[in-house]
Amino acid sequence: MTGTLLAQLQIDPSQVLAPWAHWLPQTLGSMFIGVTCGVLGCFVVLRRMALIGDALSHSILPGVVGALLLFGMVGASEKWLPLWLLGGAMVAGLLTAVIISIVHRHSRTKEDSAIGIAFTAMFALGLIAISSLPRGTHFDLKCFVYGEPLAIASPDLWLMGIICPLVLIIVALMYQRLKLISFDPVGASALGVPVQLIHYLLMGMLAATIVAGIKSTGVILVVAMVITPASAAYQLTNRLWVMLVLAGAIGGVSAGLGMSLAFTVNAPTGPSMVVVVVILFILAVLFSPSHGWVFERLRKRKLAQHVAQEDVLKAVYRLGEQRIDNPQPVGEETGLSPSRIRKSIARLVQEGLVRTVDGVADLTDAGQKHAQELVRAHRLWETYLVKEAGVDPSVVHDQAERLEHAHELAEALDRKLGKPETDPHGSQIPRG
Amino acid sequence: MIDQASMTRDGETAAVYADGVTIAYDARPVLRSVSFSVPRGGMVGVIGPNGAGKSTLLKCMLGLIKPDYGQVEVFGQPAKEARREVAYVPQTEAVDWDFPVTVEDVVLMGRALEGFFGWPARKDRERAQHALDQVGMTRYAHRHIRQLSGGQQRRVFLARALCQEAELLLLDEPFAGVDAASEHAIFTLIDDIRDLGKTVIVVNHDLSILERFDQVLMLNQRVIAHGSPETVVNDANLSATYGGRLALLDEADETLRQRISRDDRHIARTATD
Repeated sequence: MTGTLLAQLQIDPSQVLAPWAHWLPQTLGSMFIGVTCGVLGCFVVLRRMALIGDALSHSILPGVVGALLLFGMVGASEKWLPLWLLGGAMVAGLLTAVIISIVHRHSRTKEDSAIGIAFTAMFALGLIAISSLPRGTHFDLKCFVYGEPLAIASPDLWLMGIICPLVLIIVALMYQRLKLISFDPVGASALGVPVQLIHYLLMGMLAATIVAGIKSTGVILVVAMVITPASAAYQLTNRLWVMLVLAGAIGGVSAGLGMSLAFTVNAPTGPSMVVVVVILFILAVLFSPSHGWVFERLRKRKLAQHVAQEDVLKAVYRLGEQRIDNPQPVGEETGLSPSRIRKSIARLVQEGLVRTVDGVADLTDAGQKHAQELVRAHRLWETYLVKEAGVDPSVVHDQAERLEHAHELAEALDRKLGKPETDPHGSQIPRG
Repeated sequence: MIDQASMTRDGETAAVYADGVTIAYDARPVLRSVSFSVPRGGMVGVIGPNGAGKSTLLKCMLGLIKPDYGQVEVFGQPAKEARREVAYVPQTEAVDWDFPVTVEDVVLMGRALEGFFGWPARKDRERAQHALDQVGMTRYAHRHIRQLSGGQQRRVFLARALCQEAELLLLDEPFAGVDAASEHAIFTLIDDIRDLGKTVIVVNHDLSILERFDQVLMLNQRVIAHGSPETVVNDANLSATYGGRLALLDEADETLRQRISRDDRHIARTATD
């Protein structure tokens, strides 16, 4: 079953480097677009405008077709065609952005509905306009919708070569402004920053980038190159400029690897790029050091281990030496399962806090000292909770049971409480 | 060109002077003929129930909303032209705490109008350092804003307001959701800010701390009472503020709304005018 599936994919590993060997300009161009989309995407994601990105890419169709129509009428030189298309696309893109805010503000239509209405209307308009193109005008709708990087020719490369650096330079110059209006639009307009104008600048740059890159992924999938790298980068950092750099890198790498993937499995290039970028996104969600699912789980497990270990240590301290083959007393004291008790004791032995002789576990001197610290922290926390936080003394034990593991704070607590002699239950607080 | 009425007794311009401010959304009045003035260096608490128009009033003073009738002057200028002099501390819920910015980044946003597209110069950074120092947050300058406690988060935005060097500070519910200790700390900070000669207006939900303000403005679409806490905070005023809207006014609004839908142009002027 899998064999036939794989066979149908026609995997040919020898093609991995083909894009770089035979289609270098197209590959580099697509990567450049990937970088630019990734960088712009950060602001799209942070401003929660993912849907607008999708809308923009679809709504440039009537602009492109309109430009073709006008171009045919004027009869300008063929080499200016890309600029005409760019102009048409930007006009259509900005127009959509304006229509969305007008409809949203001046009717009770919600923003997401306004977006849906505006871009489908524009796309429909474009589809109708295509049929009115004069005979002989070549317009490849399939390429527009799905992309075809191998059809990237030198005018397209010129366009990419101008648009991408321009956009990146504008983002770099306007970085502080873009950060401000993305983070705090109300505060920004209260300061007198032209928030709406910068919004349209962002939309314009996005429309231009999408037009320049339309042949790489097509209008449907280009939104993936805008949103996904930025979302992956968002998982990885708490600094905006780092996020921009990472998103750019992820976008560029995805475009490049996507080309390789497409050649290797003999698949269309746009979808291959999107598959790569989504894989990178999933990896970021799972393995981000700060927000990632995997490390979060590991951290929690480590903490649970640490807590179990200290609980066992305290139980042995209180109960005296314990036979290893009879974990029951410690189990009753700590509520831990026999296997976890065994593991905890093994780790305590490793750390030199517990020693085992003839199947009997007992505390070492270091273990005694550590256990005393825990008891001390526990009683200090109880005192603190009762005195400072007004917690009822009868229920304070369970909270202190958790807090005692933050025993590093014991000295600060002791000072704050004025070095008390006894805890709320009258037990002696051991001195460190 | 200073309006006589916007002067206080000793001839100084008032920090805020609102005259007959009326605002309606969808012909539903949110503020009805609101008039008051706040002297320079004053510390005013604004209280009122949800929907009383507190946030709308703040937005007027920020120059973000133009009143349908009436006017708001800030330091003798129309609110929109005095923007530089006004700093805004938003409600915590209005802030995206997951946004990738550090404490220092946020404080520097107070200097956004300086320099080339808001790129901070050295003196802006020094100013931000100083502001962080003033609120005792220097240690946290490079922390992400999510890694702060509720009280610390407020202090960061207070530092941003200080960094802006504005003369009027508008605080939108700075005490919502902080514990008693943080509330005390923030209030001490606000006192310090006032001691610098700034005017502070605080939208506030906690009635237990009203005596700490110089003036209390009790708002429920209209001004119920305005004056020192000893004179205005009493049961009668409180129940007028929180005890529901005046039924007749609501009825009048409804009539007016229906007239609008029948294209009657005599709209929105309210019974209190």
